[in-house]
Amino acid sequence: MATDYERLILNENPDAVVITTTSGEIVHWSPAAVAMFGYSRELASGQRLQELIAPADLREAAGQRLAAALDTGAATYEAVHWRQGGSLFNLDVSVRRIAGEPPVVLWAFKDVTDLKLLRDVKFVEGKYLVLLESTPDATLMVNPAGRIVLANGQAERLFGYLPGELRGQSVDTLLPSRFGKAHVGHRANYFAHPRTRSMGAGLELYGLRKDGTEFPVEISLSPLATDEGTVVMSAVRDISGRKKAEQKFRGLLESAPDAMVIVDRTGVIVLVNSQAERLFGHSKEYLLGKSVDVLVPDRLRARHPALRTGFFADPRPRAMGEGQELFGLRSDGTEFPVEISLSPLETEDGVLVSSAIRDITDRRVIERALHEKNLELQSAAAAKDRFLATMSHELRTPMNAIIGYTGTLMMRLAGPLTPDQARQLGIIQSSAKHLLSLINDLLDLAKIESDKREVMMEDVDVDAVIEEVTTSLRPLADKKGIRFRLEKSADLPPLRTDRRAFSQIVINLVGNAIKFTESGEVVVKARRDVVGQNASRIVSVKDTGCGISPENLQRLFQAFTQLDSSSTRRHEGTGLGLYLSQKLAALIGGRLTCDSSVGVGSTFELSLPE
Amino acid sequence: MARVLVVEDHEVNLELMRYLLTSFGHDVVTAPDGEVAVRAFDREPFDLIVCDVHMPKMDGLQFLAAIRSRAQIAIPPVVAVTASAMVGDREQLLKAGFNGYVSKPIEPTTFVQQLEAFMNERRTAEQ
Repeated sequence: MATDYERLILNENPDAVVITTTSGEIVHWSPAAVAMFGYSRELASGQRLQELIAPADLREAAGQRLAAALDTGAATYEAVHWRQGGSLFNLDVSVRRIAGEPPVVLWAFKDVTDLKLLRDVKFVEGKYLVLLESTPDATLMVNPAGRIVLANGQAERLFGYLPGELRGQSVDTLLPSRFGKAHVGHRANYFAHPRTRSMGAGLELYGLRKDGTEFPVEISLSPLATDEGTVVMSAVRDISGRKKAEQKFRGLLESAPDAMVIVDRTGVIVLVNSQAERLFGHSKEYLLGKSVDVLVPDRLRARHPALRTGFFADPRPRAMGEGQELFGLRSDGTEFPVEISLSPLETEDGVLVSSAIRDITDRRVIERALHEKNLELQSAAAAKDRFLATMSHELRTPMNAIIGYTGTLMMRLAGPLTPDQARQLGIIQSSAKHLLSLINDLLDLAKIESDKREVMMEDVDVDAVIEEVTTSLRPLADKKGIRFRLEKSADLPPLRTDRRAFSQIVINLVGNAIKFTESGEVVVKARRDVVGQNASRIVSVKDTGCGISPENLQRLFQAFTQLDSSSTRRHEGTGLGLYLSQKLAALIGGRLTCDSSVGVGSTFELSLPE
Repeated sequence: MARVLVVEDHEVNLELMRYLLTSFGHDVVTAPDGEVAVRAFDREPFDLIVCDVHMPKMDGLQFLAAIRSRAQIAIPPVVAVTASAMVGDREQLLKAGFNGYVSKPIEPTTFVQQLEAFMNERRTAEQ
């Protein structure tokens, strides 16, 4: 039977006293054990001790120690254990096998965390303090129990603590409470597989200052094996500045009109703006970390890596797949035409490619509409050409019969004519010829105005053309009793021009001059003007007709204008002559001008460049 | 006096040309299209052929090609009389092998002389 003292020692011992079976099942769990490990007697009872208090990675070592102790009957060692909730602490462990029926194992645990910390501090400070004070980064050394063994001045300043204030504190005090629980797990994990790496890769990490404010951090961890066990060295970097720049960049990205997708060298999406989310119908969360191929139609995926490789081989801003039709793929599987411009983005993680993507569906629709409109216009123009040719042909065919038979009658091939018959046939004939010239002028104009009047340049003997024209028009002048003179130029070389247009203009000018002159003379003259480097050929037609008033000169070259409406009856004409002549002159690079005074006469000049 | 073959699908205009030519003493055979004209050409010799361009069945150009393919028969001057009077039509027809070009409407007082000139040109060239 146990005495009261013995019971006191078992229950009231400040060290945790635990009795287990030889296979480790708890049979006694002292009040001090409850206080130390946090598990109630009921909860602990029957559990395997090592599973309850040894971190997973230390369980094997603990088991070996137990086996050794049972062999020799007793052992004393140091260990790291954890309590309910996961925080680690240092313990001195005494273990003893007690013979009996059945035999049991007696455990005594003494919390030496603070002692251990002091030893760690002493050891680590002596060895590393000078070194760590000289590094630019805030650096903390943390032991497996999560206690800060060493904090350099940079770390104290970063977190807002006084010198020495951090020593011995749990590292959890430097973390926002929302990370505390997870951090213990991460730390245990880390000590289980210690290697140099950055902390919480891909996660956003925050530090907590003494004054309670948070700031974004980047942490790199490296294990340091010491005689006193492993400590972990964490270099902590405040990345507020970088975050701010990133925020700014994101802001910029969001303000861009285009969808932006930023992709790394392997084609993984690292950043998208909300325009891209809307355009493709995918959420940011879905897209980040995915291959950019999810935005590319299946049939185009094969050539995508080549395009990307091509870009990284020569990273400079440019349009993607120039000359190729590019398409995007929406989340609902539909495709749409896009235009993409690429630019390289230098970052700390290497070169990324930033792509601005524009949906050009609307533009494609407009382009197509324009193209169709163009075809329509082309066919309309072709139809107009056909119409003109047909009209010309169809109008001439009946004119042939009218003019022809009027002619045969007037030639008296069908028999003699009375004076009345002859006069009336004469009227038919001149009306028909007038109608014909009207048709000719209109067709010419239509052709010029639809740019269908072709110009055929050839060497033209200007004097010969003028002579031909005057010869054919001389009878008109003779009939009116006016003098008609031709002043030829002296041996001028041929002029390169369109013969038909040139003679058409001359016929018109000479015809007009005779038509509007009642007495006096009409003089046709050709000469050559040289001004500087430029030579031109001038054909002038001077008459002594009624003349044109200055205000009428302005309307002279308009269509269907015969100036004196009272004279319209007297002077037969289409009203298209000067209008057409001016168009023809422009067509062959020339100019038509008029100089006139009322009652004296007019001079028309056609000027053609040589 | 010459023997003239006049080919024209428009009846009134055919009659006009026949009338003018016979009035000036020429002997005229008429054909309403190229096919009939080819048969006439194969049947008897002519001093001149006057031919419209736009005709049904066989147009002026086809007719010209058809009689040209008959190497054993000497071909008289062939003059196109056409209402195709747009720019370039004349050049195109002369290039196609017509010996002359007269645009419609014809000038009745000079029409026959114009045609006779083409015959005389040929005679002069042959002498």
